[in-house]
Amino acid sequence: MSESIIYHSIKVNDQKCIGCVVCMKACPTKAIRIKERKARVNAERCIDCGECYRVCPYDAVTPLTTKTSDINLFKIKVALPSPVLYSQFGGEIMPDEILNALQEIGFDYVYDEALICEMASVAIEEYLERNKSPRPIISSTCPVVVRLIQRLFPSLVSLIIRMEPPREIAAKNLRKEISKEKQIPEDEIGIFHITPCPAKMVSINRPETMEKSNLDGAISIREIYNQIMQKLRKRERKFLLQTQSQISGIGIGWAISGGEIRGIKQDASVSVSGVYDTIKILNEVESGKIKNIEYLECLICPDGCIGGPLTVENRFLAKTHILKLIRKFGERNRIDINYVKQLYEKNFFSFERDIQPKPFSPLDMDKSEAIKKLRKKERILKNLPGINCGVCGAPDCESFAEDLVRGEQNLTIGKCVFLGE
Amino acid sequence: MNQEAILSEEFEISGGDFVNGGRASCLIKNILKEIGIDAEILRRVAIAAYEAEMNVVMYARRGIMKLVLTPKRIIIKVEDEGPGIHDIELAMQPGYSTATPEMREMGFGAGMGLPNIKKNSDKFNIESTVGKGTNLEIIINLNNKNV
Ligand SMILES: Nc1ncnc2c1ncn2[C@@H]1O[C@H](COP(=O)(O)OP(=O)(O)O)[C@@H](O)[C@H]1O
Ligand code: SF4
Ligand SMILES: [Mg+2]
Repeated sequence: MSESIIYHSIKVNDQKCIGCVVCMKACPTKAIRIKERKARVNAERCIDCGECYRVCPYDAVTPLTTKTSDINLFKIKVALPSPVLYSQFGGEIMPDEILNALQEIGFDYVYDEALICEMASVAIEEYLERNKSPRPIISSTCPVVVRLIQRLFPSLVSLIIRMEPPREIAAKNLRKEISKEKQIPEDEIGIFHITPCPAKMVSINRPETMEKSNLDGAISIREIYNQIMQKLRKRERKFLLQTQSQISGIGIGWAISGGEIRGIKQDASVSVSGVYDTIKILNEVESGKIKNIEYLECLICPDGCIGGPLTVENRFLAKTHILKLIRKFGERNRIDINYVKQLYEKNFFSFERDIQPKPFSPLDMDKSEAIKKLRKKERILKNLPGINCGVCGAPDCESFAEDLVRGEQNLTIGKCVFLGE
Repeated sequence: MNQEAILSEEFEISGGDFVNGGRASCLIKNILKEIGIDAEILRRVAIAAYEAEMNVVMYARRGIMKLVLTPKRIIIKVEDEGPGIHDIELAMQPGYSTATPEMREMGFGAGMGLPNIKKNSDKFNIESTVGKGTNLEIIINLNNKNV
């Protein structure tokens, strides 16, 4: 697998990066090395979680999300904000005002994703009822979790629910409807997710489960935030959106950890958030330690998408705002359950193709060689000081030993400051 | 059968230690991942090893888990010192369990451990001497891709 063809949603800016060890230490998959005083990301190991972006003290990690001005490449511009957006402007501003502001910024259509989230909850229930495949079924919502499973837990790929997440379902639906209504070709419509999450760019540009994503881009909440603020300040309230009466409390809940399972009636469902807890529970699922769980929601960000790297509001406040909105808009179903079941019947939610396992490269393609390298790695590790300082350019002594046995270019044991000259 | 082992490792298991229970099988899983064992096979090994380990934790005093890898198969041997099993045929029945109420509270004792080990192995041997201990041998074949 050539590294250059693996697409990622973040980029290190060499002008700003000074090669400190902060991102390298924070990376949960140990994908980062410091080479010649610059952070280098191993494309195969990176899962696009955004940890490096969060921790960089020099603002040297850039998310590659869509520029707001790019919406002008399309005749009809559609915004599909993640429900997280509703939590970003304090507890008083209501979703319809935010949707209004987006329209004033230049979107022709603004669509509330929460409603589709509620539909998805019904569809998940339907799926659980109909599929007697091994449990737990794992959510497909977080693209980072999907990649983590492909890489680190390849044997669990078959547990991922074979259903597209709400953003894709919503975009698919919208494109059809708008094209029909406006009598214009589908490709003249640009649909943009307003997102807390750089990883969405990966699922848009390199979708795992379909030929082409239904979305045309993802705009960072951080990028569009000030523009929305300006419009909100002017308070040109137009009340022209019919969506107000439609906003779904169940759907808004998807912004926080536990939201996805709140909408389904299965008691035996569990929600987990944060990268380390997600890795931990997937490890337990892999061992068969987790029994009697039907559905497992895993979100890589702390507390779920409201803790996404591209948010502005403090995530604890954001959570309070979301809980307030859930209370306000109620747990009442806003959608026609029978209609969702009909759509389900027509495979409206289904993947086009299955997710494939993509495990990390083993120490060697040949088993006996791999075992020799494993032994060698253990021997090297015994000789290293074990203090995990990171000065060698690897996040810890074990990774350094592994790089050595993998035959990293120009790497010798002398790079260890304690063993070197 | 007498193929040369290209890897063999041993791990200790202590009976009654629910805190660390599952460690040995996790270490085995990680080794197999590092050398690139196929995902489906890995899952079978992981489940069988975990169930075998937890049986030692739950019912025996102490035990060891051995991992042996040959070019064609993965062999997991679990040997424990413990009460042994009176009636192996009965113990192998799905749903049969002597787990205490406390263990059941913790989610163990569904009586599916031994049946699951058998289901996930290509060859499975169990021997037990009452008052002495139990030995399991779990063999999982590698497919051609892995040779
Ligand atoms: N290593 C062992 N030593 C003693 N008894 C065992 C051992 N393994 C299994 N058993 C017995 O066999 C029964 C069935 O085991 P298993 O199928 O794993 O189900 P469970 O562990 O849920 O009871 C156990 O309840 C126990 O009585
Ligand atoms: S938890 Fe949400 S915001 Fe964070 S990576 Fe996953 S999908 Fe993106
Ligand atoms: Mg058992």
